[in-house]
Amino acid sequence: MPIQITPDLQENITNFEELFSDSEDIKKRKIKVGKNLESECYIAYIEVAISNVDWKDSAVGKLLEKLRTLPESQLAGYVRDNYYDISDAKPFETIEDAAQAMLTGDAIFFLDGYNKAIKIPDKGYPGRGVYETESEKVIRGSNEGFSESIKLNTALIRKRLRSPHVKVRETFVGRRTNTNVDLVYIKDLIHPEILEQIEKRLQEFEIDGALDSGIIEQLTERRKYSPFPQFQTTQRPDRAAMAILEGRIVLLSDNSPVALILPTTYNTFIQTSDDYYSRWEIASFTRVLRYVASFLAMVLPGLYLAVTNFHTQILPTDLLLSLAAARQGVPFPAMVEVLIMEVAFELLREAGVRLPGANGNTIGIVGGLIIGQAAVDANIVSPIVVIVVALTALCSFAVPNEEFATAFRILKFIFIFLCGSLGFFGFLVGLLTVLIHLSHLESFGIPYLAPFVGADLNGYQDERDTFLRLPLDFLKKRPVYTRQGARTRLKFGGEETRNREGK
Amino acid sequence: MFADNFKISLRQIRRLFILDIFGMSSLVLPGIFSALTGADGIFCLLLGAAAGAVLLWLMGANIKHIEDDYYSYMKDTAGQIIADVFMVFYFLYFVTLSGYVVYELTALTLSWLLPEGSFAGVSIVLLLLAVYGSIRGIEGRARVYEIIFWFLGVPLLLMLIFAIPEVNTAYWTPIVGSGGPQLLRGGTSVLIFLLPFSAMLFLVPFSRKPEKMASCGRQALFVATGLNGIIYLILLGAFGQNAMGVLERPILTLMGMINLPGGFFTRQDVLMTAVWFFALFALLNTGVFQGTLIFKELCHESKHHYCLYAVAVAAFFIGKGLSEHRFLADIYEIYQRFIALPGMFLILLLLLLLYQVKAGNRRGKGAASNEEE
Repeated sequence: MPIQITPDLQENITNFEELFSDSEDIKKRKIKVGKNLESECYIAYIEVAISNVDWKDSAVGKLLEKLRTLPESQLAGYVRDNYYDISDAKPFETIEDAAQAMLTGDAIFFLDGYNKAIKIPDKGYPGRGVYETESEKVIRGSNEGFSESIKLNTALIRKRLRSPHVKVRETFVGRRTNTNVDLVYIKDLIHPEILEQIEKRLQEFEIDGALDSGIIEQLTERRKYSPFPQFQTTQRPDRAAMAILEGRIVLLSDNSPVALILPTTYNTFIQTSDDYYSRWEIASFTRVLRYVASFLAMVLPGLYLAVTNFHTQILPTDLLLSLAAARQGVPFPAMVEVLIMEVAFELLREAGVRLPGANGNTIGIVGGLIIGQAAVDANIVSPIVVIVVALTALCSFAVPNEEFATAFRILKFIFIFLCGSLGFFGFLVGLLTVLIHLSHLESFGIPYLAPFVGADLNGYQDERDTFLRLPLDFLKKRPVYTRQGARTRLKFGGEETRNREGK
Repeated sequence: MFADNFKISLRQIRRLFILDIFGMSSLVLPGIFSALTGADGIFCLLLGAAAGAVLLWLMGANIKHIEDDYYSYMKDTAGQIIADVFMVFYFLYFVTLSGYVVYELTALTLSWLLPEGSFAGVSIVLLLLAVYGSIRGIEGRARVYEIIFWFLGVPLLLMLIFAIPEVNTAYWTPIVGSGGPQLLRGGTSVLIFLLPFSAMLFLVPFSRKPEKMASCGRQALFVATGLNGIIYLILLGAFGQNAMGVLERPILTLMGMINLPGGFFTRQDVLMTAVWFFALFALLNTGVFQGTLIFKELCHESKHHYCLYAVAVAAFFIGKGLSEHRFLADIYEIYQRFIALPGMFLILLLLLLLYQVKAGNRRGKGAASNEEE
């Protein structure tokens, strides 16, 4: 049962402090106010969330200064009538709500004789600010990245989409963490059912804490056993803004620099921001490269095993002999050899990620060059396997999304087993299984393989932005994620305008 | 929303049928033609396609009158008992088709991809895949084949172009040397491979535009016939009638002979087996899916997957039987030629006639009641 705030300040203080007993990081101050300093107010805040040095210049300081100029009898009336002069100030009627407001990083203000508490915003919790993204690097385009502050992240999107149609719907996840989760979208572009669905899914679970968007992602995914992510992730505000313009919804979670985008497809994972900033020829070329890379990241070691162990007739004799010569002296079967090298590579990758920046690079060099060379010299693995594993790793790095690339990394091992034991038949069985799985997979009702499948849903327009990114003139329609009737995104002036410009 | 509406597009239907028809026919028909008619095989192909067009016309004429699904239409038109008999007929066709495809696909795998494998092992893996492919309904199945269509089509077309230099046009003659019975037999064989089109009748509730399905079927028939014609001419030109007659799968042998520019890959037969592997799997999937669909309707069962498992098990044993007992393959051929093929035509014709009679009666009653009024 929530405790109501009363005009009795002492009662409110007792109730509030009972809630925050043994919380030394929370500063609580009782301050005299009124012209004759005969009345009292109470301010509570989290130590680092409120300015200490310039306290007097802050909203809290200025309010107190004003209250010391007014007669005691007018204090409550003044606060009631003027609290909204402070940006984002908000009144609360219960102690619990007031406490919750303070925990978002603002000061909470109680006044003797006033039956509400006012939230007064200040600098909030400490955060990183806007930094360059560590992943999803682009050659052309903004380098701003999301940070851990949800407010900052929302503002970074707003900065790019200055339209009143951009909506931010707020909700809270985590019984103990009360993590702020924002759904950002353009109202007239989205399919309302998708918004309803994500809101419903967010209500479907109750967890003690959601410390990162990754937890929300896993709890709201429908196909939990699929290696393929059903949300796209990004740390780039421009990518998020672009997705919103396509009628998709961006989910931001406080304390997480990773935004979730829904719905998503295989194609969207392969796209990057600079695909649209660069000329279409190079954008198309790199995109084809990424598609091929995503495929090879999954199957290359397996195909190597299938060809060298089962179907040697495919290869020219010279190459076959040189492969056989390279394997001479290697004591392990080819499948074990590939597995050793792949596991070693995954270890190097894991070690490189966990170690601090400079050391991580060292691990890459030490692992890749020295250990690889030593393993070949010691006849533990053959040089061709090193090449195959290195190529596979390159391919997985070429996939622009880390979570998506992880799916291929895992499937790669399944393909190694299938191809190592069943040859090309194993490869076909694996490929067919992945294809069937992907064709069954959906993200919020959108087929994962769209627009390669179901392209008719948007009049085959979406196929213009798949393997090839056609010139922007051709991409006049928004993808299928946008609601019907709002799909035009590019229009040129009428014939008359064009003729005038021609003159 | 978008997906999960259990409706598939015309493009998906077209691609499904092209793969269904092309896979098995391109593997088996060249051998049959060379044995029967030599260069006249192309006429058998055209004859079969013409008969196929008639079959599709009959289907289209019936589809026009289907309001809910084919089973309900049969019940409304011919009565419950006859509809059930027809459903059993279709069920047997699709289940035996599944079994036959399991047998052929496993044989293909064991010959070209995994000679040390066991029939049971390979066929169980294939059937598990077919069950997995069918378990989530028509949409997932259609999507698989929509996506792999070009992945299979482009390499196949390229390989056929590269095979052209191998062709000796002298082998294309003599033409019009075969007698009527041989041409008729060849045409009938072609028509047997077109019978999977009958799955179209059961796809009406799943199609976004049922009224255009027959036209979709005609396009698929045109593409499949064209491809089979090109393949046959290339095979005949490359091997000649006699050599082709002794080859088990002439098209795959040809794939192994083609010299690619640059000459890096010396033999492509294993890689190109993927085309037929996927195409035959499409047909297997069709057989299992349709068999299950019909079985479910007959059993009035829609929630569980027991029917799917039952069809898969039946297909396994039929496939195993065909691989172990040669006489079963002969029986299967007789069944296809003398029961399934005429049955498909007769059912459609009978339903159409009964529908017209009933419609005439309804019109007559309507006119009579108007006169009375």
